[in-house]
Amino acid sequence: MATGSITPKERHELVLTRVFDAPRELVFKAWTDPKIVAKWWGPHRFTNPVCELDARPGGTIRIHMRGPDGTVYPMTGVYQEVFAPERIVFTSAALDAAGNPMFEMLTTVTFAEEGGKTKQILRTRVIKSTAEAPRYLAGMEAGWTQSLERLTAYLAEHSKE
Amino acid sequence: MQLATDQLSTTLAALSDSTRRAILARLAGGEATVTELAAPFAMSMPAVSRHLKVLEHAGLITRGREAQWRPCRIAAAPLKDVADWLAHYQRFWTESLDRLDEYLRDAQKKEKNHGHRKHHAKRKA
Repeated sequence: MATGSITPKERHELVLTRVFDAPRELVFKAWTDPKIVAKWWGPHRFTNPVCELDARPGGTIRIHMRGPDGTVYPMTGVYQEVFAPERIVFTSAALDAAGNPMFEMLTTVTFAEEGGKTKQILRTRVIKSTAEAPRYLAGMEAGWTQSLERLTAYLAEHSKE
Repeated sequence: MQLATDQLSTTLAALSDSTRRAILARLAGGEATVTELAAPFAMSMPAVSRHLKVLEHAGLITRGREAQWRPCRIAAAPLKDVADWLAHYQRFWTESLDRLDEYLRDAQKKEKNHGHRKHHAKRKA
């Protein structure tokens, strides 16, 4: 059973911890085998008609995510580190219609064995952004609203660190 | 990419400091003067003023015009961009990892159903 928690950290890093009831090798494979990644990458009801992963340092990532309304969201990335079955570090960039990156993320995923299960920690943060990025995100998550109160609570909670 | 001209990057940079986040959290409760804002911190007034300048430059706060009494107020718009960004990635990853979890369960179930042989289940479905 997967448990999840979300902690937005300093520099607006997102940290998500999950425990998967699966052996570490299988979880690692599920992250590096393009056929498997295509099955789970993206929000519910998204598919990945293009999913090419060259999971080795310097190898590229190319994923075209397709939303339920048919809109395709292309992204590219580069593996910085691939250390089986413990750790993957990669950059990823969402592309605009002309194929230019709108923002770039750095994501680190670590896998630890924990009593036959696998504890996965995912950290992601924005490393570059353009003026289009907020609009892109807004479009992608149409209807998604985040209240100022919620962010204020987050700020209050994390400002004592 | 010109980071200097990008609002979201400026906002993120301004938010990267814990003192500035504490100042914003305080201002979320209502406007305050520099003296009031400085009170909880072991920090000189010029140091607090520098933080306020960064926040003001990022559009995260606005300051009153009066020379003596320049109350600081929180500004919502850039925070909303960051909140949207955070929300987007929380949702993206939370939902992706839910799906990964489902895949892992299925994959293991299939392997079990393939009996005692040690073969990795080849998904011929």
